[in-house]
Amino acid sequence: MSKQYLTLHTIDNAHPSDVYSLAPTKDQILSASGSSSIRIYTSDQPDFPLVQTLDSAHALGIHHLVTAKESNRAASAGFEGKVKLWSSDEEGIWTEDGEIVDKYKPGDIWAISLSADGLYLASSSINGRVNVWSTAKSEGLPKIREYETKGSFGLCVDLSTDGRFTASGHENGSIYVFNNDTGRLSHSLAGLVHPIRAVSFSPASKLLAAAGDARIIALYDVNSGEQVANFTGHGGWVLSLDWSSTGEYLLSGSHDSKAKVWRIETRSCVATHSHGDKPLWTAKWLPKATRSEMFALAGGNCAISIYREAAG
Amino acid sequence: MIERIVDGLLDDREQLSITLKTRNGVTRRGAHPNASGTVPPAKTRDITFPGSTVQEAWRFTVLVRILELIHNCLIDNTIMTKRDMYYRHPDLFMKQSVVDRYVDDVACTLGISRSSLNVTAAAKGLVIGNFDILRADGTNVNGRNEQEGMLVPRIHLNDTIDLSSIRWILVIEKEATFRSLLCSPQWLSLGSQGLMLTAKGYPDLASREFLRRLADNSPHIPIFALVDFDPDGIAIMSTYKHGSYRLAHENVTSKDAPTLNLPQLRWLGVQSHQISRTPGTESDTDNDTIADVQGLMRLTTRDRMRALKMLEWDLCAEDGLEQAWRRELQTMLMLNIKAEMQILDELPGGLTSWLSAELGARQGPVVEVGGLVSQAASTSSDDDLLL
Repeated sequence: MSKQYLTLHTIDNAHPSDVYSLAPTKDQILSASGSSSIRIYTSDQPDFPLVQTLDSAHALGIHHLVTAKESNRAASAGFEGKVKLWSSDEEGIWTEDGEIVDKYKPGDIWAISLSADGLYLASSSINGRVNVWSTAKSEGLPKIREYETKGSFGLCVDLSTDGRFTASGHENGSIYVFNNDTGRLSHSLAGLVHPIRAVSFSPASKLLAAAGDARIIALYDVNSGEQVANFTGHGGWVLSLDWSSTGEYLLSGSHDSKAKVWRIETRSCVATHSHGDKPLWTAKWLPKATRSEMFALAGGNCAISIYREAAG
Repeated sequence: MIERIVDGLLDDREQLSITLKTRNGVTRRGAHPNASGTVPPAKTRDITFPGSTVQEAWRFTVLVRILELIHNCLIDNTIMTKRDMYYRHPDLFMKQSVVDRYVDDVACTLGISRSSLNVTAAAKGLVIGNFDILRADGTNVNGRNEQEGMLVPRIHLNDTIDLSSIRWILVIEKEATFRSLLCSPQWLSLGSQGLMLTAKGYPDLASREFLRRLADNSPHIPIFALVDFDPDGIAIMSTYKHGSYRLAHENVTSKDAPTLNLPQLRWLGVQSHQISRTPGTESDTDNDTIADVQGLMRLTTRDRMRALKMLEWDLCAEDGLEQAWRRELQTMLMLNIKAEMQILDELPGGLTSWLSAELGARQGPVVEVGGLVSQAASTSSDDDLLL
């Protein structure tokens, strides 16, 4: 059975160049692009107005931007190699909150992910290493875990909601799950051979979705490491994955500008949307504020489109 | 003028010293206050004799010997190539790049172009096309004399260039692609309307000077660049378009040394949206993946470093002249891919068909705006529209 999603609003020219990352909070959408600024849009008003611009965050452009699901923290990673931490006050105004610099070498930190409570940040790197950092400023933002892999570029990383696991996807097709409690590798998952560009834990931290150039989305059981499902249908490389808050649906975005919504229970694609004709770099669910589910898409056409589930 | 330097040195017997200006090691990185069109000042250094080290004595000897050779050329009004200079004293100069560097530094110090020193480089570029150069002495050079392209000819001041059959000029990064285009059956018809040049990588002064002469002669003819989709490709295009910082003194505007930049150079390819049309990334061929497509590769660590350094160029800054370059460099880094132009051969019909379609589309309606020739918006590339 298919589901219908309607375009609720499109923010044209959300950024002057490709939007690489969207990071929602309860009532805001933070966005980052090839330009140096982070732009913040309100999602609780019908026309999604721009409320804040964090200028000159990363001069060479921003490749990753994440928010913590249950706290007021965000983190951004720039092409120059730095990671900046941000936090917002009660009015939703964001300010810089510190910097993580790993040896000052671009690529030592590539993809990033914040734990739900915002206390930990995981990062992948060009040399394959996966690191976990504490975001406690009083302790000087120390590195608390360092996982070695086989040296293939870590294109994506995710921290589970409960903070127990870190997953990373690599250019050579490997997918690793690390146990943050023990500091050990818990699973090296049977990969998809081709570069993995997105990994994402389900809200209950039971399942891990991974996808990339193979155009297949694979689902794994986090505890056993077994592959439990395969979603096929994307025609282009899959660049982003995001679970809905209930864990019922998975949203995926592809280089061929298409986004798909998958129902986990029936293992089927229930909706497909096209976002222009440029790469779709990022696709994210918005936290459920009303009764209907909403998601946002952004990419090479510099616009952010917000979709809402059709009533019925 | 060289004589004066040398004479002055000879009078002052205690310690000989020559002040050289150099742009060696000057990069585009970092924003310069008055960004567009200006170049950073050259650094100066003194080379003295007797020097404190063997190294310094050698440097002085090399420099004096080069000055002497240049001096002779200027007196006899003969032209010498840098390669010739090197072969006069291979054991002294050790390697060609030593001669190259000092000759450029001498030109930089005197604030003139290298050709004013009567020193040239052996031509490296190849050119073919339906053009004629009528020499002042009555001889004629035809661009299609050589089936496989000829070395870029020198155009003298009094020569006349006939470009009446030319509708486009195409600058190609690699000789291999240049040759494969020449071999393709469609070239006969395509080539009759155009001129194609390759400088085999980073362009030499002779190729840039040649192109600039063509552009000055016929500013209405569009000039396109076809380079690899990688940081070096964009850097090569940048050298054609904006020149080299190292050789900025070659850009001086005077009657015998016209500026060499080609600000009107347009980027034909390879760009990321062209790659996504090739079969490997196309929707309908499920199992065909990127690794199977010839010409698509991962960035090396060096490529990534190079791309990052280029993002720091003032040209690629957020308010820089080359927004499309910034975007494409970022795309390379995001996807960690690069592609050689051979990837366009994977398209149906191959590179030549792609080329004639692209050139055809961009010929389109040309609108004259106050003496400047600009293309109608409908035919500009997707990336231009983003600006």
